[in-house]
Amino acid sequence: IQPPEKPLQSEEWNRLKESFQSPEIFEEVMFNSMVRCNSPIDVAKSLLTHVAKRNGDITYNLLLKYLALCVQQGQTSEIRDVYDIMKIRFKILEGGAYNLIIRGLSNSDQWRMALTLLEEVKKIMVPSRTNYESCITAASRHKEMKLAFGLYREMLAKDLVPTLDVLHTLFDFSRGMKGAELQKELFGILLYLRENQIYPHKTFMRSIKLWFESIPGGNWRGHLTNITDSGQCPVCNHQLEDSDLTEEEYNNLRERIIRDVIHGTDTFRKTSPQEFEAFQTFVENRLPFDIVIDGLNVSHIKPRRMQCENLSDAVNCLAKENVRLLVLGRKHMLMNSSNWRQEIMKEMQNKADFFFAENISEDDAFLLYATLQSGQHCKFVTRDFLRDHKACLSDSLTRHLFRKWQRGHQISKKMFLSVFIQQPACRYDCVVQTTGDTWHIPYKDHFEEKYSYQVPKKWLCIQQK
Amino acid sequence: MQSTNTLLKRIVRSSVLPLAAQHGMKKDLFPLSRTLSLSFCLKQDKSCSPSEKLDLDAWKKVMKSGLQEEVSEMVSEHKELSSLAGAREILEMWRLAGRSVPENITEDQLKGFMECPSKSAQKKYLKFLYLKELYKKNDKRKMDKKRERRLETEERACKTDGTKRNSFICLWTNCMDRAYSWRVAQSMIFGQPLVFDMSYEKDMSVREVANTVRQLVLSEGCNRRSVDPFHIHFCNLKNDSLYQKEFIKHYREAWGKLLVTATEQCYTEIFPKDKLIYLTADSPKVMKTFDHNKIYIVGSMVDRSIKTGVSLARAKRLGLETAALPLEKYLLWNTGAKNLTLDQMMHILLTLKDTGDWKKALEFVPKRKYTGFVSKPVHELKKTLSLINTLKLGKAQEEVRKQFAKNYSKKLMQK
Repeated sequence: IQPPEKPLQSEEWNRLKESFQSPEIFEEVMFNSMVRCNSPIDVAKSLLTHVAKRNGDITYNLLLKYLALCVQQGQTSEIRDVYDIMKIRFKILEGGAYNLIIRGLSNSDQWRMALTLLEEVKKIMVPSRTNYESCITAASRHKEMKLAFGLYREMLAKDLVPTLDVLHTLFDFSRGMKGAELQKELFGILLYLRENQIYPHKTFMRSIKLWFESIPGGNWRGHLTNITDSGQCPVCNHQLEDSDLTEEEYNNLRERIIRDVIHGTDTFRKTSPQEFEAFQTFVENRLPFDIVIDGLNVSHIKPRRMQCENLSDAVNCLAKENVRLLVLGRKHMLMNSSNWRQEIMKEMQNKADFFFAENISEDDAFLLYATLQSGQHCKFVTRDFLRDHKACLSDSLTRHLFRKWQRGHQISKKMFLSVFIQQPACRYDCVVQTTGDTWHIPYKDHFEEKYSYQVPKKWLCIQQK
Repeated sequence: MQSTNTLLKRIVRSSVLPLAAQHGMKKDLFPLSRTLSLSFCLKQDKSCSPSEKLDLDAWKKVMKSGLQEEVSEMVSEHKELSSLAGAREILEMWRLAGRSVPENITEDQLKGFMECPSKSAQKKYLKFLYLKELYKKNDKRKMDKKRERRLETEERACKTDGTKRNSFICLWTNCMDRAYSWRVAQSMIFGQPLVFDMSYEKDMSVREVANTVRQLVLSEGCNRRSVDPFHIHFCNLKNDSLYQKEFIKHYREAWGKLLVTATEQCYTEIFPKDKLIYLTADSPKVMKTFDHNKIYIVGSMVDRSIKTGVSLARAKRLGLETAALPLEKYLLWNTGAKNLTLDQMMHILLTLKDTGDWKKALEFVPKRKYTGFVSKPVHELKKTLSLINTLKLGKAQEEVRKQFAKNYSKKLMQK
């Protein structure tokens, strides 16, 4: 329904209500459409007056919708009035009302009131992240960076994840401001991005660049660049951190893979204890491998060709100069069939070690184990993103480790003119990094780039002259 | 509601509106009250424009008036809220804000709410309670209506005074029960065993266990009513387990008299291993025919979060043969997981046992999960498929589907 353009008298509202198909929800529907059409606030007031006169009361629901309308139009005094009314009417308010009021007030000149409201929210529940973000934005808009960062730290301490927008705002409003303390805080945000493997988008990156360049007496200069496979920054010739894990991280990851991915809740779900033991002894006797191949995955690269031909292409392409190969497969590959020719299989077994798992076992788990057992230099070949295995890992820290290791050690292959082109694993680590007088920040071109397996190729290089 | 009442009281008490109070709050009196409050407002607040007849802020006065004393009462009452009461208040506010929150909530439910690990879990739990309440209310309303109708017909029947003659005394249900029990008792001696494996309690949430037992109760019921029932075994059923408690909740004292075998033993201890077949959707082997000499095992598990391979792992551990229903072979699968509910499994197995007809048996697979039987001629199948897809997806994707149907039919021809 279309809300009226001018305030109406009670009789007129009554008439409208009677003409509406379900009169009992008339007010709610009307208010919803007012919010949608951004109707003048006077119209809403006249409806409220009408309701108040008829019932002697206005339901919380309607007040909330009116509040939403006020917030939408930035009517600060109305927001305060509604808040006062709610306060005397109800013992406590719920999160939705606080969200609206805090958002409304933080955009006005009475933003300090939003802070006191935030304190009030804390008494009854954990404030939502929008609560914090409104307050942080308000504080930084008024150049109270200390306050803003205080709130930001408080938010992190409560395990709320800030949006990129709010981090962006912090950089935007700190531009040109002095102070070692402030600098430390902003570096802290960059390290937060590093730890959580978050990549800023283009506009955010720009504001980081501008902030660096605006530091008084800092002499920072930023350049946009692409970093080549070698991992050397073309602007400052700095070599980026390599993607190897530390000894401790590596061992940790290996143990977690065995515990969470291979065994999980029940070893029988992915393999069986006997089979896993057999595989372990098989691997121990032949260590170390240089490349581990997921045979079945590779054999499906070209659907028109025989599967064993695909596999033998891959093995031939990779088998050179004393490279030790391990191919993982399943027992059905040993049965002579139209897809698996035994003479080709025999030939391949001269070039590489083969392990055949049971047909109902998961070979991916074996792939991970064999690669990790061989050491840091060992790579693996599969087109699988291994997301389901990553999901088996229980904490986010190990998952980040896994992703980093995967980026550095997975070779995926692309078909090009029926020749295997090896797509090299990333040799450098794609995270925000610093040496003190340089910063390298990878960024996404678009805001919505979401593939977790893709790492950005574009970088922001910042150096101090 | 309470606040409205106090407001009304307050209006009654105030001398301004004695007339309105006497007559009750009738509609025709409202113009009067508006003008009154308008003048009231004009005295205090000059900001509203006198040119406009309508006072836009009158609602604020209404909302603020008559509350002062109540507020002071409230403050003295609720200085310290216990966490439970606090949660109750928050819930009440959520309900007022129009969220799906039940009207009445018990102490236990409130505790369950507070134990939810996240905000979304809380929301889900509340919605569940809300819907439950709604269904209950609707059922009650329907029952009341039914009772009314019955009373009416009885009255009418009394008037007409019908003396019906019937050679049977009206004891249908009782007789049927006895006949059913006789058959099940016979099956306990001569019948084919069917095992429900009750060892998945640790893989399920409390709600899932409750759902499982509900499905088991349904299966038991349909087994009892069948012509040639199975001899049901509940194996690995531990005393004082959650399963057991839920069973007792459902059956009450009948649990002890139920014509099934409930045991703490594993099926491998009762039956020879080579006769057991574990039915699981993850099995690589597909069941071809129903074997009357084998003992089928069904895992009593509801997994809403689709944990693949749990029951297959169990069968592997015990070294048992496994099988899956030939759903792919007979049905053109549409959506949904291939795991079926326990009562559906029961229906399917009973039908197979009686007739051996897959088509008849797989009628019990929910219709939403498949688009048709494969036994139809292929061209007809293609037609339905493309029709469905044009209706569902529009023309652009139709081509893709056609291709799929073509490939599918090719596959069928090869077989």
